Amino acid sequence: MKNNIKYFSIFAYLLMVVVSSCNKDWLTPKPLSIYSPENTFVDATGFKAALGASAKNIRDEFFGDGAPIITENIFSDISVEGTDDKTGPAQNLDLLIRPDAQLNSADFNRIGWYWDQEWIGVRMANTIITRLPLAKALSDAERNSFMGQAYFFRAYNYYRLTNQFGDIPCPITEITTAKVDFATVKRDVILKRMKTDLEYAVQYVPWTGDKGTVNRGACYHLLTKINLALGLFDDAIASSTALINNGAYKLMTARFGVDAAISTKNVTWDLHRPDNKSAAANTEVLMLVTDRLGSAGAFGVGTNLGTRIMRQAVPGISIGTNIVTPNGKAGAAATGGNEIDIMNLYGRGIGRCRSTPYEYKDIWDDVKDLRHDSTSGNYMFMENVRYFAPALKTADPTYYGARMQLYDSKGKLLCADTLRSWYPWPHYKLYVPDTEANPMQGGHTDWYVFRLAETYLLRAEAYVWKGDMASAAADINVVRTRAKCSPYTASQVTGIGTILDERARELYWEEPRKTELTRIAYIFANTGKSYNGKTYTANSFSTSNFMVDRILEKNIFYRTNFVTLHNDMMKISQYHVLWPIPQSAILGNTGGRINQNVGYSGAELNVPALDKIPEQ
Amino acid sequence: MKQTQKNCKKLMSSSLLMLSLFGILVASPTFVMARVSTMKTTIAQITVTGKVTDSRNTPLEGISVTVKGAKTAVITDAKGIFTISTSDNGTLVFSAVGFLTKEVAVKNNKLINVVLTEQVSSLSDVVVVGYGTQSKKDLTGAVSQIKATQLENENPRSVGDMLRGNAPGLDVGFDASTKGSNASLQIRGKGTLTASSSPLIVLDGVIYPGGLEDINPNDIATIDILKDASSAAVFGARSANGVILISTKKGKSGKPIITFNDNIGFNKLANKPHLLDGNEMLDFRAEAIWSMMGYDSTSKPGMKYRYQNPTKLPSGSISQADWMALTGATGDVTTEWLNRLRLKPVEIANYQAGKMLDWEKLIYNDNALQHDHTVSIAQRRDDYNYYLSLGYLTNEGLTVGDTYKTFRTRLNLEATAAKFLTVGMNFQFSNRDESSIPVNLSDVTRTTPWGSYYAADGVTLRTSPNDDPGNNTHPFMDQTYTDRMYQYNNFFGSLYAKGKLPFGFSYQVNFSPRYDFLMQFNHQSALNPTIAAKKGVVDRRNQTTYSWQLDNILRWNQKLDKHTIEATFLFNAEKFQSWNSTMHAENFAPNDNLSFHSVQSGTLPATIASDDQMATGDALMGRINYNYDQKYFLTATARRDGYSAFGQQNPRATFPSVAISWALNEEKFMKGTQKWLDYAKLRVSYGENGNREIGRYAALSNLSSGTYVFVTSGGAAYNGSTVASSNLSNPSLKWERNSAINSGIDYSILNGKVSGSIDYYVRTTKDLLVNRSLPTVTGFSSILVNLGEVENKGFEMSMNTVNLERKNLTWKSTISFWLNRNKINHLYGATPDYDPATGKQIGSSEKDDLTNQWFIGHSISSVYNYGIQGVWQVADAALAKSYGYKPGDMRLVDLNNDGAYTIADKQFLGETTPKYSWNLRNDFRIYKNFDFSFTLYAKIGQLSSFSEATNSLLNGGNVFYDRANFYKIPYWTPSNPINDYAGIASNVGGPVSWNVFRPSSFVRLSNASLAYNVPSQLAKKWKFDNVKFYVNIVNAHVFTNWIYFDPENKNGTSGGAPTPYNVNFGLNITL
Repeated sequence: MKNNIKYFSIFAYLLMVVVSSCNKDWLTPKPLSIYSPENTFVDATGFKAALGASAKNIRDEFFGDGAPIITENIFSDISVEGTDDKTGPAQNLDLLIRPDAQLNSADFNRIGWYWDQEWIGVRMANTIITRLPLAKALSDAERNSFMGQAYFFRAYNYYRLTNQFGDIPCPITEITTAKVDFATVKRDVILKRMKTDLEYAVQYVPWTGDKGTVNRGACYHLLTKINLALGLFDDAIASSTALINNGAYKLMTARFGVDAAISTKNVTWDLHRPDNKSAAANTEVLMLVTDRLGSAGAFGVGTNLGTRIMRQAVPGISIGTNIVTPNGKAGAAATGGNEIDIMNLYGRGIGRCRSTPYEYKDIWDDVKDLRHDSTSGNYMFMENVRYFAPALKTADPTYYGARMQLYDSKGKLLCADTLRSWYPWPHYKLYVPDTEANPMQGGHTDWYVFRLAETYLLRAEAYVWKGDMASAAADINVVRTRAKCSPYTASQVTGIGTILDERARELYWEEPRKTELTRIAYIFANTGKSYNGKTYTANSFSTSNFMVDRILEKNIFYRTNFVTLHNDMMKISQYHVLWPIPQSAILGNTGGRINQNVGYSGAELNVPALDKIPEQ
Repeated sequence: MKQTQKNCKKLMSSSLLMLSLFGILVASPTFVMARVSTMKTTIAQITVTGKVTDSRNTPLEGISVTVKGAKTAVITDAKGIFTISTSDNGTLVFSAVGFLTKEVAVKNNKLINVVLTEQVSSLSDVVVVGYGTQSKKDLTGAVSQIKATQLENENPRSVGDMLRGNAPGLDVGFDASTKGSNASLQIRGKGTLTASSSPLIVLDGVIYPGGLEDINPNDIATIDILKDASSAAVFGARSANGVILISTKKGKSGKPIITFNDNIGFNKLANKPHLLDGNEMLDFRAEAIWSMMGYDSTSKPGMKYRYQNPTKLPSGSISQADWMALTGATGDVTTEWLNRLRLKPVEIANYQAGKMLDWEKLIYNDNALQHDHTVSIAQRRDDYNYYLSLGYLTNEGLTVGDTYKTFRTRLNLEATAAKFLTVGMNFQFSNRDESSIPVNLSDVTRTTPWGSYYAADGVTLRTSPNDDPGNNTHPFMDQTYTDRMYQYNNFFGSLYAKGKLPFGFSYQVNFSPRYDFLMQFNHQSALNPTIAAKKGVVDRRNQTTYSWQLDNILRWNQKLDKHTIEATFLFNAEKFQSWNSTMHAENFAPNDNLSFHSVQSGTLPATIASDDQMATGDALMGRINYNYDQKYFLTATARRDGYSAFGQQNPRATFPSVAISWALNEEKFMKGTQKWLDYAKLRVSYGENGNREIGRYAALSNLSSGTYVFVTSGGAAYNGSTVASSNLSNPSLKWERNSAINSGIDYSILNGKVSGSIDYYVRTTKDLLVNRSLPTVTGFSSILVNLGEVENKGFEMSMNTVNLERKNLTWKSTISFWLNRNKINHLYGATPDYDPATGKQIGSSEKDDLTNQWFIGHSISSVYNYGIQGVWQVADAALAKSYGYKPGDMRLVDLNNDGAYTIADKQFLGETTPKYSWNLRNDFRIYKNFDFSFTLYAKIGQLSSFSEATNSLLNGGNVFYDRANFYKIPYWTPSNPINDYAGIASNVGGPVSWNVFRPSSFVRLSNASLAYNVPSQLAKKWKFDNVKFYVNIVNAHVFTNWIYFDPENKNGTSGGAPTPYNVNFGLNITL
């Protein structure tokens, strides 16, 4: 019986342990390593971090393998997809750009990436906008500034979305439930709302702040773009003038930064050095994104680190035996660290983003232009590259170290794939030293999003629309003369083409070329102004528009239906002025109808777009 | 206190009195009957003695010997000897658990020796049912049992090996890795869309949170599989996918038994396609480039010979000079040829020097060794029993350098502390070494036989053997230049005490902690040319997991007249905690010679991160087993579970079940069948179960944090923080709920010569945990919600037969057959339909989820894709072009004949799950000492993806055919216009995305084993109790039409391991 007592007491003890451990909170989830919105979006630190996430969200467009901006470039006059050894790259756009096709892959295109990432940007901004009024720990000044910055990010993403996809849904508050009943809103309606928001932002966001954050200059710049998109040219002149005249920002016209002491270089080179973009001396930058080697927030995973920009945009010098010496020997090697280390001078390009002759040849009208200058090393031509394959030392010593040539003395072509392996490139922009890859692919760097140079070109564009060619020439010349070009006279400004040429010279891999072309196409359609003697209407936007006409005019590959070595044809159609809404978005929206753009399958099910943004 | 003691005593004595009264009541009819019979008869009584042995001549103790028709009964002694008194023309009946009952006519013989045959499965087998055991006869649910002893000769290397092919309704996947424990397990089809569909594992009565690789198969005694909802319901909220209960070995009475089980095996490659060698590769390359050129032979005469070896041009074709002139080339013809084939200088040099790399030889480790050694000691005494084992396993993979090692030990200890109190512990420790780095097989097909293994220095590995670093890296690069230590240590134990209480009550408490320590240290050396620029890269991860469970079990047994009641109550609590830290460092200075031991030497700021998690749960469960007269059985359970992942709004849920069964053969009207029918039982059950296997914090909005660099106006960069929600929260998240009906029959006929079960079930799962696709406009791709309904219907049968029972040959078979039909009944509910003309709603209907490929009315595993009707042939070139394809590309079916491929042309092609499955096992015992067995299993009617038929996608990935090598499979050319394989580098994209599927039905001879038992007299002479030699072949052969690697394991080209077959030699000694 004694044992019985002992046993009962053990039992009682264990039962007590159990019962006492099961208090009321026993099943309450306890996240240990994750933050919750409720305890984070309460004070300035929390909102700064939320704005930080928004800033980081716009960075990735310029980075990584198959960087999204390549897709902007190939839907324009300046580039085509040069990958010609597999199926998938967006060359025959008729075949490959469809609502249910692969729309987010380095090997295909990044339309789906834009769609997803821009909506994430809208969502992040909406969360801040919805929660700011509820945060009691903020001063009015803080709240207004944060609100303005959140408005900037929302407007930035909607500006892109409306010029990539046209009419789209428009959520403007935080979504906390499984919302599946979106409806399409008219593009103009959305942009007007963004204009109002930015007019608020330019009152409260400070003129300057830490680089990487939003400042008033960036807000004015974006407001100018939206004013233009809405056809409000006077408003565009006013908003850009407010920025230009403020004086907080100035174009860089003198040597500065890391290479300032190298006399053979110049200000154009300096402006695009990775270390100089966010330097204290740089007064030209309005908005940039950052990516620093060794920072926890640096771009990339695995081997896809940093910009990879040299891999994307430099010609595929080392691909296969595309380049041979006049004696028929392989002229290049794909390895880094050779005696003549071409792969670590220019990076191991694959020619994915292949420039058009328009971009590397036709637009250059002034030999003094620093942006096209090969003597200082700003611009590179294939003839500047040397045959460097180590095997040549014994196999073909005559040509080892000699300059590459496209033809031999008898006129025989020495490059097996001129699409991918033979074209010039702007070294001053693409050269981003890479310490993580050998051969180099393009390392980590900050990247310009908005520069004051573009503000001048936006104002110049507004003047062009108004027919004030003299004022337009004056603004263009600010940018041109900095690059040591002779100024244009008013008569040399012939129209929107002049603006687009100057943008192509100045803003390669910075401006979202397709977004801007579509914006301009909308202006043509809405104003009825003529281009090359042709006018456009909004009703026939997807069957006849300025953007695709311009591409067919300037982009020889699409115009001539160039056929690649892989037997793929370069082809674009008028309806590509707007990208397809990814089918998954339409399918997931089971409670409503998101319209498809005309020209793509599914558009026949469209319902009229809304004239008003739904409040919920 | 004294008063209590007194009361207790009183109660005990009164219950004893009751029991003895019972005894008298039950015994008295026997007594009366016996007297009657003695009065009636005058037949001669004789005394019979004899010896009972098993088929190996080992004496059997405890065999019941009865006289048929009388109540006389004796049992055999330790030497198998019995003595019984019977009439001279009577019949003796020999029976025991685990043996077929045998009847022998006395015929006036005074000496009767009997050999009993072991039963494959017996109704009196004890089955573990969760928080208790039952005899198979008393079961009301669908339970399968696997006895580990029957698999001893097959050298199962993992728990999966034991389950595979041995239980109906259980689908065991294939894992060819050296670890071999990641084979998927699925009972009765997939009842969930996104949550885990793996069954719950229970080890020695305790829910087991660890990995199956930590359990040594040699320690396992039995495995029971609870398949129907009612039997699984005792595990309530965690049992929707069925339950697998593993019981480990215990001591046996007598002296300590020491067992050595040692085997050595060889892993060999099975079903490997041939990798092209140097010359085959050149032919292939010529064809590939020619194909990529679109077979354009019109531009110049002789163009079609352009890629052919100029030294072997067919006579009458073109001259070498003309061949050279095709490209205006001068100089060496062979160099020109290899240039045209896009070979790199290093490849050309090697070709000219005749130096070819044989990658097959380099990467494969044929005759890879496998060692498995287990020693155990076990004993049972009156007041304690123990089982202690140590096991060591090392397994080499089929690719060079792939090795897996594990050490496992187990101690099962039970002691009687007092008459009414038993305490015990089951303890398991395991260490796994997963440090080896396999060869990167996908890089093998991306390089060529004409590359060089080493760089110019002859020591360093060449970054890319054929100097094409963007496309391939040396397959041995990681293995050579990585220093890795992946060590996993874990303890799992269960401490328990069980005590008897008055009034038929008993109480048990289990405390089961599990510790898991994980170390993953990795150092990529700066000597690795691909990362030399990073000057060394180190990753370290440490994780500790501690989880515990506490079970309080109260049981009550009562037998009254013909009523037997057994009740079980459970109170359970559990907690999971894990602490995970990772760090990453690069750019080591002064050097990275200290490997991963000196993270602080990385000069770039190290990235560090931690992730700690916690979850809690509790449960209350009650179960009543009732039977009347061993004829009518009832089981009813209810379990209420709590789990913190659902803790916001639905922390708890209740899961009931009920089952009844009826032993038909006991009924009077079945008397006529007694001659042949030993046993027949009808069962019906209904139960509900839950599934909670989602992330611990899946219901919460996760605000993911990170850093982003900002720069001050002074130009100083600093890390700012970023936060953004990465998912929508769903506070109302709850369990998936499974409800299932099972009806079945268990039978045994002809004295147990044939026995088995047949089951039919319908299982419906509601409130599925689903990542519902959202329009991406929300900024989220999906939200985790409960919705929809999935149904699994199926049929299972299993049968054990004794086919032959001769003196020198017994043959037994186990056959099982099952099928499962899966269907999605509902997804998101009805949503509006709009009139395209007006935009007005015109009705509503339930839609499929095309994003996730879920279709209402179809199986989860449905293949909804474009039909492939063959390959575009040259004659159809124009038509092909109108579809965006060319001759040599796969030709899709244009279902609606509208001249274009659109989403409307997709169709249901089949399913990736089998239509039928079966197992067949045969056991032979020949000349008493030889055991031979083999197991077949089959999966019939499923499709598998076969994108390789496009000759453009290797393992689903895009391949550069002008830069790579490949496995030898057929390909289309204009002169070889086959219809089942596309041309090399065919177009696999185009206007729509699609994939090729082919049937992958197969029958696998999964095991064949032969064992020789040294006769016990001889063994004894050698001072052993038992000595056994055995040899077996695992995965001996697969019968299939599938040609690419293995129908169950297409790996081998990337990531995964190729399929092995193993030949093992083993020795089992008992002292």
